[in-house]
Amino acid sequence: MMKINVNGQQREAHAGESILDLCRREGIPIPTFCYHQAFGGQGACRMCMVEIKEEGQTRSRMVAACTYPLTQPAEITTESEQILRIRRTIAMLLARRADKNALLETMCQKYGASRLPAIVVEPANCILCGLCIHACAEMGKSAIWSMFRGVDKRIATPYDEASDDCMGCAACAQVCPTQAIKVEEEGAVRRIWNKTFALVACTRCGKPYATRDELDYLGQHGDFGQEKLCEACRRKTLAANMQTFQA
Amino acid sequence: MGGRAMQTEMNPGKGDRQTVLVCCGTGCTANGGREVFKAFSQSLQHHPEIEVLPVVKATGCNGWCEKGPLVRLIPKDITYCSVAPADVDEIISKTLLQGVPVKRLLYRDPVSKEHLTSHHLTDFYRKQHKIALRNIGEIDPGQIDDYIQRGGYQALQKALLGMERQEVIDTIKAAGLRGRGGGGFPTGQKWQACRNAAGNPKYIICNGDEGDPGAFMDRSIMEGDPHTVIEGMCLGAYAVGAARGYIYVRDEYDLAVQYLRQAIDDARQRGYLGKNILNSELSFDIELVRGGGAFVCGEETALLASIEGRVGEPHDKYVFPTEKGLWGKPTVINNVETWANVPVIMLHGAESFAAIGTDKSKGTKVFSLVGKVVNTGLVEVPMGTTLREIIYEIGGGVLKKRSFKAVQTGGPSGGCIPAALLDLPIDFDSLTEAGSMMGSGGLIVMDDHTCMVEVARYYVSFLAGESCGKCTPCREGIRALLEILTRICEGQGSIEDLDLLEDISVTMQQASLCALGRTAPNPVLSTLRYFRDEYLEHIQQQRCPAGVCRALSVFHIDPEICNGCGVCVRHCSVNAIRGEKKQVHVIDESICIHCGECYRQCAFDAIKLR
Repeated sequence: MMKINVNGQQREAHAGESILDLCRREGIPIPTFCYHQAFGGQGACRMCMVEIKEEGQTRSRMVAACTYPLTQPAEITTESEQILRIRRTIAMLLARRADKNALLETMCQKYGASRLPAIVVEPANCILCGLCIHACAEMGKSAIWSMFRGVDKRIATPYDEASDDCMGCAACAQVCPTQAIKVEEEGAVRRIWNKTFALVACTRCGKPYATRDELDYLGQHGDFGQEKLCEACRRKTLAANMQTFQA
Repeated sequence: MGGRAMQTEMNPGKGDRQTVLVCCGTGCTANGGREVFKAFSQSLQHHPEIEVLPVVKATGCNGWCEKGPLVRLIPKDITYCSVAPADVDEIISKTLLQGVPVKRLLYRDPVSKEHLTSHHLTDFYRKQHKIALRNIGEIDPGQIDDYIQRGGYQALQKALLGMERQEVIDTIKAAGLRGRGGGGFPTGQKWQACRNAAGNPKYIICNGDEGDPGAFMDRSIMEGDPHTVIEGMCLGAYAVGAARGYIYVRDEYDLAVQYLRQAIDDARQRGYLGKNILNSELSFDIELVRGGGAFVCGEETALLASIEGRVGEPHDKYVFPTEKGLWGKPTVINNVETWANVPVIMLHGAESFAAIGTDKSKGTKVFSLVGKVVNTGLVEVPMGTTLREIIYEIGGGVLKKRSFKAVQTGGPSGGCIPAALLDLPIDFDSLTEAGSMMGSGGLIVMDDHTCMVEVARYYVSFLAGESCGKCTPCREGIRALLEILTRICEGQGSIEDLDLLEDISVTMQQASLCALGRTAPNPVLSTLRYFRDEYLEHIQQQRCPAGVCRALSVFHIDPEICNGCGVCVRHCSVNAIRGEKKQVHVIDESICIHCGECYRQCAFDAIKLR
């Protein structure tokens, strides 16, 4: 454990732990758009910039809290004039991509960002945080990735066509902070990323809950039981099982 | 080309064997250098009276691209400029056979009006000090023996047979070599970190992904002297204990790839690469990787991702590649020019290298001098040389004797330095202080017909397509900067825009993920710092003082000055200028598209801006 001084208060960090992980654990607020604890830091949105001065250093420097590993005692400032200016500018710039989105609205208000004219992006409201790419890769699929570069960068399936790899699990949509990924459901059909999937109904409550492709894929990668249950019914069954276990 | 040289070597004759060096660098090749080379090879066959056939060699870039194709005759030390295949017979009959120079092909000094027999006598070369470029133009890059004859692989021999690994690092440290790719990080320190780092195997990488518009120093080295890069990397591998190296070459550099590939094969055959090099404990081999065509892959973490087969996007470098680099293993990445310096330092010692340059920047730097300058080309000068010396003494001043306005250094994310700083001795630190950077060494000279707002807009537009788009400040910041600069150039800007430019720029500098984003606002901030008046003129007076921004440039002809020469009429693409020869001309405002071509062409400055 190392002694880390955050905003004047002593904290303890594990060696190699990121600044953001330490601060989240200690309840010190740092705003993020591109961070998800399942994937670790990406250093993409740069909203989490903080100042750090490590032992032996004369000047503090600006680093991304989500990717900076703590390896020695240090002093950290999570809010300064410079940091607030960065957050204000980033909120202002990202809000152009998602100008009616509640999250961006909140961030702009919080940091006093002025609004610039909105720009058209595809998919609408996408702030290119990259979480969907990680979610899809983590599922073992990588059906979506970022295409092009620079100001033309966007998230898509290869050639914008229905991807063989996409199983319609919608993990991408679930992690999206701005709800930019469209999941259309009608009856027992789900449409996502230009591809249509048949939904399987929960054997208990009858609600369509997952795509056939997803359940087949999961079946190949582990034994999740014979019964096809939606999340709510699975929780209920689990709770019931726990009761019998206790008794 | 090699066959020709070998024939003569097997045929030792009487008298001096002469060598004809034909520059076949990319610039000279574009101007017909290859044809000149072929013409020499063929014509010499038809001269039975020549007892000892001269050796004809195609060399790498001599740097003096403005005067190419260059032909040099050794040992007479005669340099011919702008040689065409039609000139070859005359050169053979006069110079090779009779020893008389062909006067019309010699360089004529513009000041003294004298014809100079050798390029060594010209201002362009006299002020240069060649270390990294020492062999280029002197050897056939396809012949390993040419390199060896000029002392090649001796440094490797010296190190492997007589120096400890740490000694090699200490020598580089003592020499004060700093990375030539842009950052200027001390090379010895980098090697030391990699040597000390835990983890195996270790890797050596040569960054040859030169992408700055107008920069061609690394290309020239890879095309003109590929073995120096290989030897430098071998020395690095020995120092840090690496067994494998990669040369990452920009995909567009076909000739470089061709020569490097051959050089690697030749070095393997001669035992300079492979197992137990020169019977030492060092086993090291190099693989060539062609880049994917993205500017950002010159950034080292993006380069690593690209070699690994991932998308060429950078990641935070809080843990240096010397600890966690290629496939998570300790890796040294140095730029082509840095590697080219290494054998020289090792062979001649740290002291002689450290004696050149400034206090904190040692040795020389190669610059590609381009833009509105008389002598464009590649120049290598000691660190600490002033911009004035490079532009006026070596470069011969501004084209058409126009007035100097600025020099853009350091590639697209460098900055523009004004005339007031022409006497700045350039090194890594002085350029950074001036709001620009060394970068890889691009120098683009601009005259008074250059609009600085448009220059900033141009560079930002380049970066808009080349940013990887991963982090917000760079991607969205560049987008916003480009919109604002375009607005100003079109006459739609406001004073508040200047604050917005600064605000976004500062965030980009402080918060961007990699150096590309952190330096991307340099063209904007440096022009705002030195040429703010021009921005204000665009915004407040709706006028582009350089006559470049079409929406803000209205031209008319001053009847007092116009002598009716007709040059403007010939250059006007829409026939908007009327007037009899030797009579005052007039621009028809209803037709004029404000391109400014007449304004730039008029030799009498008779065309005026509103």
